[in-house]
Amino acid sequence: MSEDSHLESPFSAASGPPPPATVTFSRILRRSLVHRRARSLSALTALTVSAAVATALLTLYADLDAKLHHTFRSFGANIVLTAPSDAGFGAQPIARVEQAVGTVGHQEVLVAPFSYAVATTESGRPVVVAGADFDAVRRLDDWWQVDAWPPAWFAAQAPAVPPPAPALVGQRAAQFLGDAHNVTLTFAGHTIPLQIAGHLRTGGDEDSRVYIPMAAFTRWTGLSATVLEVQVPGSAARVEATVASLQHEFPGARVEPIRQLVEGESRIIDRTHALMYAAVLLIALTVGVSVLATLSASILERRRDFALMKALGGSHRHLMALFLVEALVIALAGVVTGFVIGSAAAFAISELNFHTATLPYVSVIPIILLLNVAIAAAAAFFPARVLRSLQPAALLRGD
Amino acid sequence: MFFRLLLESFVRQRRRKLLAGVAILLGATAVTAMLAIATTIGDRIHSELSVFGANIVVTPKAANLDVKIGGADIQPATGNAYLHESDLAKLQTIFWANNITGISPELIVHTDATLNQHSASTDRQGIPVDAVGLWFDRSFANHLTTGAPELHSWWKLEGKWPAEPHQVVVGSALAARFHVHAGDFVTIPNYQAPGDQRNLAAPVYTITGIVSTGDATDNKLLLPLATTQQLNNTPDAVSRVEISAITMPEDALARRNPDTMSPKDHEIWYCRAYANSIAANIQESLPGSDAQQVRRVEQSEGVILDRISGLMWLISAAALLAAGFAVSAAMATAILERQAEIGLMRSLGAAKSSIALLFYAEAGLLAILAGSIGYFLGSGLAAWLGARIFAGAATAAPATSHLMEPLAIFNPVLLPAVVGLALAVAIGGSTPSIRAALRLDPSTVLRSDA
Repeated sequence: MSEDSHLESPFSAASGPPPPATVTFSRILRRSLVHRRARSLSALTALTVSAAVATALLTLYADLDAKLHHTFRSFGANIVLTAPSDAGFGAQPIARVEQAVGTVGHQEVLVAPFSYAVATTESGRPVVVAGADFDAVRRLDDWWQVDAWPPAWFAAQAPAVPPPAPALVGQRAAQFLGDAHNVTLTFAGHTIPLQIAGHLRTGGDEDSRVYIPMAAFTRWTGLSATVLEVQVPGSAARVEATVASLQHEFPGARVEPIRQLVEGESRIIDRTHALMYAAVLLIALTVGVSVLATLSASILERRRDFALMKALGGSHRHLMALFLVEALVIALAGVVTGFVIGSAAAFAISELNFHTATLPYVSVIPIILLLNVAIAAAAAFFPARVLRSLQPAALLRGD
Repeated sequence: MFFRLLLESFVRQRRRKLLAGVAILLGATAVTAMLAIATTIGDRIHSELSVFGANIVVTPKAANLDVKIGGADIQPATGNAYLHESDLAKLQTIFWANNITGISPELIVHTDATLNQHSASTDRQGIPVDAVGLWFDRSFANHLTTGAPELHSWWKLEGKWPAEPHQVVVGSALAARFHVHAGDFVTIPNYQAPGDQRNLAAPVYTITGIVSTGDATDNKLLLPLATTQQLNNTPDAVSRVEISAITMPEDALARRNPDTMSPKDHEIWYCRAYANSIAANIQESLPGSDAQQVRRVEQSEGVILDRISGLMWLISAAALLAAGFAVSAAMATAILERQAEIGLMRSLGAAKSSIALLFYAEAGLLAILAGSIGYFLGSGLAAWLGARIFAGAATAAPATSHLMEPLAIFNPVLLPAVVGLALAVAIGGSTPSIRAALRLDPSTVLRSDA
């Protein structure tokens, strides 16, 4: 096989008519990608799948903590502040809490002020009455089962004789209040008429209490909020930091995290995190190895091209570079399409499961780029040893 | 002839078969592991969630109203009704007995104790303090060791829980106030009838440990239940029982009022492990009791359980999809490589159908082999991961983990599912390439410049 006479344009035979004047590396590359469209497409699909899977899992993984902490909000408050004396926290405690918490960097903080007093019913039984901000409670304590929330009540409506305040009555307390609609409670000689607006069921201490609007409570007892229930999302360390900054803001108060919630939350999040990490590794490995197998098989299949080019005078290094660049171009294209598809998949999974969106994370691009390039490079180099030992003449003869 | 071809193909083309086989194997491993984790994640997370405490609380029906603020009794109720400790044994035989993973009864006695006094004393000027009677590591039924420490896994104890009637554990705040440590003593006066004017010596209790709970219990004394029953002169009495039970998340049926259901719906409701129906079942079995689900724990657990297992299922689905893609691509490549072989067979007169059959048989055999191995590898991997990640899941739910043990590693339902999926993917993945190969003209293929 003496092809020496055609050395001026070594690859013109392979690229078909019309014969080009000069053969450049990029031209061979373009030809190779376009000419074998089916094969390039299947390699692109494989690398797109690997990039998409990696993107979806990494995006979910990156957003997992925020999502899980958000889920744990349904447990309600995780920090409780108790005022040092009956004087309470005074004016604007919510703003002070929000300001103190803001210094630790929390975005969403929920605060519900409460105040408690032991009053007596008409029949002389003691009952705990709590002043509460019902709007805050509704946001914070998701698990309260309430048949009807009390309407808004304004103390300023009738200064002389205020209308009966609407009350939310715990299901146990309800059994001890005589009338089903109107009750009068007494605290330190002052009476307050209440209109029962709804019933509350929690299975906890709340069942034995009567909740009334804070404004009515303060007007009746002269007490302001003595307990602040605060919810800050985040890890145990962030909750600790928040406790410290709240303690700084309210020096005399007792600031305590609800320990079982904080510990349980970080434990479950750690576990889920580890599980997710294992899943990401496992799936990435599976897809990576399968894609590697597919790609290297398809390169191995091109032994004949390889032999021909070698026979036409291409050096081994030159040809490997060609395969490598070809694989890298496909890998890059795979990263682009895979990132789009994977981000969409992560968005869909988040929306379906957590009912909140997960936006694409640009920071995962370097990782998937690295992954795809590694797979493509390995797929190009893996057959190199097989190809090196090839005898072009033997192969071209048709063995 | 057919079997010989099949056999030869496996023996001669070991590299190619290995490639496709490894792809199926890894895919099956990943899918099995993910599915095995997704199916058991509910139980695992549930036992993790038990750190939040009991999800059902039982109190006496005729009790006075609690006057509690921040976990502390403001006005001790008098003349209260009690539950009977001996009735708790009935919980072993109720319909939902197997779902109960922990029971913690308590009896609170208001007493005047003297801390850090080393000898028996007739001095009644102690400080008013709540003494809580509890179970400590009580064996209940034959497989369950339960009590207050098991249900309150966030309690931190320095020392030991009481094992004898005259031993006591002191809350950390109380211990700090009176500078007492494990090994010190507490005197608690015995019960005296209201008119009794005698000045009796108060017995001495040994402190076996200091407990930190992070709530009002830090200011209390923790004693064995039987001891507080004596102190209160109410044998067998219990003022409250906390129960931890395995429940299923609420759905539309659980939110309906059971009293207004039709008999048929009520039966369905009763036979589902909702917190409500378990509470109703407990209430029926304990006379004079009122059982309530603790909504803060129960409702939030349901949400978290849903989210985490939902996430795992969706990721399993993603794994399935990705593994399916990867495996079918590998299968397609494996067949494309063999176009020359197909051409040769056709030129020798083989029917298209028998060639297709041969290739499908190869793919099927490979899928069954690699799928089965993948199933075992994946199950092992899932068990290993589960054990590693959820290691030291503590005392939670001993009953279930006991029952789940043989099923935990190899879930027999997954085997046919995984092998079936592997078959479907392998055959589905090879179909386009087999068809493409058969469509080609044998002579072109054999000239091999296609």
